[in-house]
Amino acid sequence: MKKFALHIFALLVLISTLLFVCDLTYTRIYTNCHPRNKLQYILQLKNEQFDAVFLGSSRVANHIDVELFSQLSHKKAINLGVEGAGLNDNLLQLQLLLAQNKVKQLYLQVDSNLESTGPSNISQAEAMPFIKNKLVKEHTQKYFTGFDQLYYIPFYRYAVNDAKIGFRELFFSAFNKKPAIDPAIGYTPKYGNSIPAGKSTTMEAKGLVAKNPILTHIKNLCQQNHTELVLFMTPICSKIDVKPYVCKLKEMEPKLIDLTQGFDDSLFYNCGHLNDSGAKILTRRLYEATKK
Amino acid sequence: MCPWFDSWRYHKKPEQLVRVFLCASQKSGSLNNSNIFVTTLKKPKRSMLFNSLHFALFLPIVFVLYWFFTAKKLRYQNSLLLISSYFFYACWDWRFMFLLVFSTLLDYYTGLKMEHSQNNTHKKRWFWLSVIINLGFLGVFKYFNFFAASFTDLLSGFGLNVHPLTLNIILPVGISFYTFHGLSYVIDIYKNRIKAEKNFVDYAVFVSFFPLLVAGPIERATHLLPQIKKRRAFNYDKAIEGIYQIIWGLFKKIVIADSCAQYTNAIFAHYDSMNSLSLLMGAFYFSFQIYGDFSGYSDIALGTAKLFGIDLLRNFNFPYFSRDIAEFWRRWHISLSSWFRDYLYIPLGGSKGGMPMKIRNTFIIFIVSGFWHGANWTFIVWGALNALYFMPLLIFNQNRNHLDIVAKGKAWPTFKEFFAMCFTFFLVVISWIFFRADTISIAVKYIRNLFRFNFTNGVEYLEIERYSVELVFLILFFLFFEWNSREKEHPFFGRWLYLKLVLVLLSIIMLGVYSDITSFIYFQF
Repeated sequence: MKKFALHIFALLVLISTLLFVCDLTYTRIYTNCHPRNKLQYILQLKNEQFDAVFLGSSRVANHIDVELFSQLSHKKAINLGVEGAGLNDNLLQLQLLLAQNKVKQLYLQVDSNLESTGPSNISQAEAMPFIKNKLVKEHTQKYFTGFDQLYYIPFYRYAVNDAKIGFRELFFSAFNKKPAIDPAIGYTPKYGNSIPAGKSTTMEAKGLVAKNPILTHIKNLCQQNHTELVLFMTPICSKIDVKPYVCKLKEMEPKLIDLTQGFDDSLFYNCGHLNDSGAKILTRRLYEATKK
Repeated sequence: MCPWFDSWRYHKKPEQLVRVFLCASQKSGSLNNSNIFVTTLKKPKRSMLFNSLHFALFLPIVFVLYWFFTAKKLRYQNSLLLISSYFFYACWDWRFMFLLVFSTLLDYYTGLKMEHSQNNTHKKRWFWLSVIINLGFLGVFKYFNFFAASFTDLLSGFGLNVHPLTLNIILPVGISFYTFHGLSYVIDIYKNRIKAEKNFVDYAVFVSFFPLLVAGPIERATHLLPQIKKRRAFNYDKAIEGIYQIIWGLFKKIVIADSCAQYTNAIFAHYDSMNSLSLLMGAFYFSFQIYGDFSGYSDIALGTAKLFGIDLLRNFNFPYFSRDIAEFWRRWHISLSSWFRDYLYIPLGGSKGGMPMKIRNTFIIFIVSGFWHGANWTFIVWGALNALYFMPLLIFNQNRNHLDIVAKGKAWPTFKEFFAMCFTFFLVVISWIFFRADTISIAVKYIRNLFRFNFTNGVEYLEIERYSVELVFLILFFLFFEWNSREKEHPFFGRWLYLKLVLVLLSIIMLGVYSDITSFIYFQF
């Protein structure tokens, strides 16, 4: 039995060593590779000054053509919208961006993302290689239940997020494979038109939280950094009546720029996302609505 | 909150664990691909999966108690195994404990009654009581809805529209396995092959020993009971062998099966829009998913049992290196195949009685074996298809040509052996399509699309944001390991033992699927 216990001990030491070495290798590669997502890109930005930064989910990534916006406004702009991102993720993005850069205007997409305060894919996965970063650590500690495992168990953060930052992504990062979406541009147009068949419905506003703490945090952050905050809502196809929702939202955020009206269904890629033609119109309208 | 513009990816069937959200409102009722939004909110139930943290804690605790506190007396050893096994089962679903205990009590009691019967009629009565109740439970819990729905379909075929009587039944985990344990025990007593077990604890351990409780191997009283009846002394070599087998089983499950599952699910979910190459890859991946999943489970079960000084029946013996279907079935789910051979095929007359009898019996065991897997016509067709594959070998008396492992003692197979293996594997891959598909019509459409030889888009990009052929190198690496260890139970032996161990552990760490832990496929049977 003693021999067996020694054997098991040796095996556990071997496994621990492998976990430690893997953790070290993964972290080293992710912190030194060319950015393959917008969070990595933000972390590598230093001493930049942006006139306009767009934050939100895919409804920013697919909707704001920053090149067009820059042409119209002659401003240095960047689209940091990420598919699946929530307000919590946007907060982390903003904190990291403002830590080493300056932002004059922040355009933040708000709609149903106000209904939630929890983290989603960016904070849960893409930020994990950078958990030793003070801001990421604080954010994870504040909003995650399993912080200790993520922080202290070697490789745990990579294992539980294997689909996003696992071996496959590591391999691409190690060989500096160009990502499908260039994080420096940020705009990811959609093409085509496929509005689903079915009855029209009304978007319920029951879940809207009167004072979302994440939004309050973002507002405070903007104030501290002298960044002007612009809240805007992008359109949804005619199958969904968003008027009551927008009314409620406007009551809560009177300065909200409502861009939900006046988009024909032919401009939609699907019910929640405009296609490239629609995105260009939206970008122009947003520019018109905010130009001074 | 309705996640109406967050995630557009959707999963078709990750073990009924998806929740469907309809865009903006859930009242509309018109569901199609473009307006359903699916989130995997509920994780698979992790209780005591062999690849879960719970089991990683449970196993060492039981191991330490077993060897340090109960090793001196057999009675203590078996009592601890029984308590641990019942705890293990209760972690799955404590409500079905009564079924397990009842089934155990029934077979234990009828076994004793049969042995003490004064005459054959009396013995027969007890025997049939046990068989009917065992099969009755299986029938109600596993097959009731299938028979009810099939009967309704049959009536509607004659123009009679009847509302089907279906019950909202949850399938108790492992019911097919422990029922077959019990059945083999009472049949063996009835046929005077064994004596009835008098010690209830020993018999209960035989039925519910936790490594084999939920997905086999299906043990025989003749093999397992004598081991349970003898006090186990710690054996270093056996325990180390067990540890290595567990590691290899984890590799098969976490690295091979779960990786393949991601690709398989994506391809089968969109089979109607996929080209032939992707469909071929889908079937190929499923073949390795089910093999990695089930043989991985069996390896962990066998390895775990060895830690307690018990040898279980080997369930897999490199089936994908088979040179014909008969050999495949001697190497795949061996404990079930041999169960059907001994308790169904031979009582039906076996190979006696001429060719028509042989053909009839072969079809019966393959179809029943298919039906054992699940209450769906797809499993029945899968069984029948395998019987058809078997026919030429049976008719030309070639079904016992390959009893040894291929290229025994050699590094490489001959060309003839290689092509025979490829052809057999191809047949198996086609039959797996029926096993995996939700309905027969889907399987047929899948196969039809597969044989359209449409390669227009080449390698296709899947909804899991990967290409359909990305996994091939990993599977080739796995096959290389398997080939080199095909005369053993796992690859950890010889000169390169430690290098292989490090490589496998590194693969488990780096290539394993942890974010989407899946249950073992055979737990549903």
